Amino acid sequence: MKLIDTIKYRLTVDVAGRAFLRYERFLNARRLKNARFKSENLAPPLRISAWTKELISLHYFRGRYVEGHQPVAYVTSGGPVEILKALGYYVIYPENHAALAGARHAQMELIQSAEEFGFSQDICSYVRTDLGTALTGKTPVGKLPKPDLLLACTNICQTVLHWYRVLQKIFNVPLVVIDTPFVYTEAPPHAVEYVKKQLENELIPVAERVAGRTLKEKKFKEVVKYSKDATELWLEILNMGRHIPTPISIFDQFIHMAPIVEMRGDKVTVDFYYAMLKEVKERVKKGIGSVKNEKKRVLWDNLPVWYKLSRLAAELADRGVSMPISTYTYAWGELAPLIDIERGMESMARVYLYPILNRGTGHKLEVMRQMVKDFKLDGVILHSDRSCKPYSIGQVPQRNKLMEEFGIPALLLEADHNDERAFSEEQVASRIASFLEMMEVA
Amino acid sequence: MDILEKIPSRREVIESFKSTGGKIAAVYPYHYHRALFRAFDILPVEVWGPPGIDTTYGSSYLQPYVCSVVHSGLSFYLSGGLDVVDFIVVPHACDSLQGLGSVYIDFVKPKQPVFTIYIPRGRKDLDVEFLSKEFESIFNRLKELTGKSVTEDKLMEEILKEEEALKKVRELYSKREQISLSDYHFYRVVRSREYLPAEKFMEIADHLLENFSDGTEREGVPVIFSGLLPEPMEILEKLEEIDGRIVADDFACCGRRLYGEGKSNNPFVRMAESILNSPPDSSRGATVDERVEHLSSLVKKYGARGVVFYIVKFCEMELFYIPHMMRGLKERGIPSVYIEVDINDPLPDQTITRLEAFVEVL
Amino acid sequence: MSRVKAIGIDVGSTTAKIVAVDENGEMIWRYIEPTDPRIEDQVDRFLEKLKEELSISDEELKKIPIVATGYGRKLVHQAKKKLTEITCHAKGVYKSLGHGGTLVDIGGQDSKVIVISNDGKVVDFTMNDKCAAGTGRFLENTAMRMKVPLDKMGELALSAPEEVKISSVCTVFAESEIISMIAHGVAVEPILKGLHRGLISRIVAMIRSVGLTPPLMLSGGVVKNPAVRKMLEEATGQKVILPEYPQFMGAYGAALIALESTKSEN
Repeated sequence: MKLIDTIKYRLTVDVAGRAFLRYERFLNARRLKNARFKSENLAPPLRISAWTKELISLHYFRGRYVEGHQPVAYVTSGGPVEILKALGYYVIYPENHAALAGARHAQMELIQSAEEFGFSQDICSYVRTDLGTALTGKTPVGKLPKPDLLLACTNICQTVLHWYRVLQKIFNVPLVVIDTPFVYTEAPPHAVEYVKKQLENELIPVAERVAGRTLKEKKFKEVVKYSKDATELWLEILNMGRHIPTPISIFDQFIHMAPIVEMRGDKVTVDFYYAMLKEVKERVKKGIGSVKNEKKRVLWDNLPVWYKLSRLAAELADRGVSMPISTYTYAWGELAPLIDIERGMESMARVYLYPILNRGTGHKLEVMRQMVKDFKLDGVILHSDRSCKPYSIGQVPQRNKLMEEFGIPALLLEADHNDERAFSEEQVASRIASFLEMMEVA
Repeated sequence: MDILEKIPSRREVIESFKSTGGKIAAVYPYHYHRALFRAFDILPVEVWGPPGIDTTYGSSYLQPYVCSVVHSGLSFYLSGGLDVVDFIVVPHACDSLQGLGSVYIDFVKPKQPVFTIYIPRGRKDLDVEFLSKEFESIFNRLKELTGKSVTEDKLMEEILKEEEALKKVRELYSKREQISLSDYHFYRVVRSREYLPAEKFMEIADHLLENFSDGTEREGVPVIFSGLLPEPMEILEKLEEIDGRIVADDFACCGRRLYGEGKSNNPFVRMAESILNSPPDSSRGATVDERVEHLSSLVKKYGARGVVFYIVKFCEMELFYIPHMMRGLKERGIPSVYIEVDINDPLPDQTITRLEAFVEVL
Repeated sequence: MSRVKAIGIDVGSTTAKIVAVDENGEMIWRYIEPTDPRIEDQVDRFLEKLKEELSISDEELKKIPIVATGYGRKLVHQAKKKLTEITCHAKGVYKSLGHGGTLVDIGGQDSKVIVISNDGKVVDFTMNDKCAAGTGRFLENTAMRMKVPLDKMGELALSAPEEVKISSVCTVFAESEIISMIAHGVAVEPILKGLHRGLISRIVAMIRSVGLTPPLMLSGGVVKNPAVRKMLEEATGQKVILPEYPQFMGAYGAALIALESTKSEN
């Protein structure tokens, strides 16, 4: 790494950038302190939002100056990031970047560029968004650093395998694939062994070579500890949704999940979620619900429809419908108990094998079943996401089983997490309206 | 004489195999090892669709944006098409086949035992080790289910037999230009390996090599096809009509399964070595460069003038490679065209027009 | 005093309907015409017509509750309540036939499959996905392309001894497919039959996705097409039951809900 880049980074990011963003957070926090119910029926945003904003801004701001100062890796969201963090990598999650573009309505232009290059409309819209950035350099966050290393872990989908091959072609840097055999029912010992060996024999040597450093066990354990702590806090926050009324909704979770995805393994992430948990508990104590006059509680399955988040939140709130939990946000918390610092790589191999997306369709049904009971839910919306086949396949029978077993309405809602063209305004509106009529809150 | 008369139908093969006490495994696409099943007197019969069935059955489990290979494959089971089989095998190739395997196990719950096989993406020792263990665990489960005490020697014997059959396929491909058969007929022969026992397949292949190699030159513009499978097979007849011919392919059901031979004396390792030594393909996540290199070497070797990407609608793993592969080929002076199909539909006129225009330009 | 106790209005994408019911929920008056782009004006006209034909005064009309449904429901400002077609269709069909089951409604813009319980509640529903191939509009468009009168389409399709398979399920592509078939000299009837088959298989796929609870019922304007009914029966192996006024089920259900609301208020 170059000294001049480091000096530049220290001055712009550590001296100027941090101070500015901290000041901005202070202003935002003051504003949020006096915030009232935003729409008539939605609770005001959490005060912690000011910090979330600071964290995200700082993360991408660092990205602008990080080249040459720190090695840069692009990683899939379920990837073994702890190893890279311990080696001092600055990490970008293209999925997260694409979601951010979607939430800011900046994604369609990027998707267009990827399609003009020849990528089919039938491939994942995150990929099209991200490849739009990779091909044109355009991004709503100003500038993304070029990667020195690519790391794709197949535990969220097979799509990432092909996506990162394309990134490898574009950036011409090393790609490490961590192949996590799909867990149909249970992971056999040879699968755990296989993942462990890939981490030890493939990822670590390549990542060390690219970073020019060796992995220190002490540092690695520290990162894993932070990772575990933050994950546990996140899980605890989500479980607050069991209260009636629920203090937070999935719409809050979608916004505040960025650090657990993007900054897992950092100390600040632990501090952040500790503060968030405190605020959420406060809400519970005061009886503040995520929607005013909560009448019904609904589960969300699958990725969010990023570009329609706020619309959907307000629409449901107006009918007194809250959404306390989703399988998607839960995925970032449920693995916490598996992380065992003392058992090192083997425990990590299990963690990377067991995300909900790498497990069978029956397991996902079981997760939803448990949520309906624990969170006392009155209905289920399953987002049938054209862009995410591994998450969506199985929803048809899962939905039928949930309706059969609990006698509650469940809606299969066809949309797409990032491509607005796959979202039919009128059709979605009439489906949701019919669903609400079935719950008798129309 | 028509070579097709020599090839028994799937139904005939299944009936005759069962009549001698054998059992049948229905196998979904696409990497697995036939010997693993043959060692237990189980005949693997592959399920590639089949095209032209009522796919509405699959809608009880699958969304419309799942590809026609998977949709048809499940619909076929649900409409009784697999009632005759004793086992169902779903190898892992992509998100949709992964989902199919999982939906089978958790929701469809067929009376037949369901096997899944995870095919690793790498080609290193640790990948071979994983796959060999994957095969071994299937072997042990088959032992349990059939009550047969099959020895590793018996398994090795079957592996060697399959290796012989594979050599025969290679020979058919390498002598393709001397074999006076239409593409339609040729692929009917090659694809009969999807369900014929190795010994029967070799008999047909030998007959073909002896009787149809008259040395007359084939006519038509030489092209290479890449994709999952040549379905609907009508495409091959259409190609001939518009004066094109296939000289080699990168089909999942054919060319991508021209595996290398294993070396180990351990049967499980040997099978794993062979499968992982396959030509670079999308399901195993080959790099873009490896695939471009592979296709251009086929072009060179067989004197093709262009590449046709014949892609099943919604097949993400194929779609990802297209933009860079087409550019990569172009840089090497190889024109290519991209065509999308649904294996359950008749070929749209537009598809044929596009193919015709491509062949005309070549 | 008028016998009319409640009114239902269904503004669909192709046709607009109005139904009036008496205190027992019997349909005593109904009217249908193609949907006017100026929906507000059309609804005013409907109500004028109702007043005239059933001699209702302005004063009386003001007291009669109105519920609106269909795509244009939000523009019916006279309605006290606006509900989706799902709820209204289920209501109307249940009252007409007296039992639950699986209702298929093929509309111009949307096709829906609604599972109705034995006490008349919606227990499940699904609608066609974004593409229009599973809707009435699909048949309409292609009939127009082939210059076949809409009301003759079903008969012609049934008269075909065989059918051709239409390869593309999307409306736009199906049209271009048909043009090239005609150019290749394929007769109209087999193409029509293939088109109906395409529509029916979309509908059957929807039925399978929610699961068929017999009996199978059919409503919507498309019931006038004999091929749809016959082919749906063939494909599902179930006899298809029609309500007496299949096109008015949405408006009828809306009127029934309006009637209930007066009762609950009292």
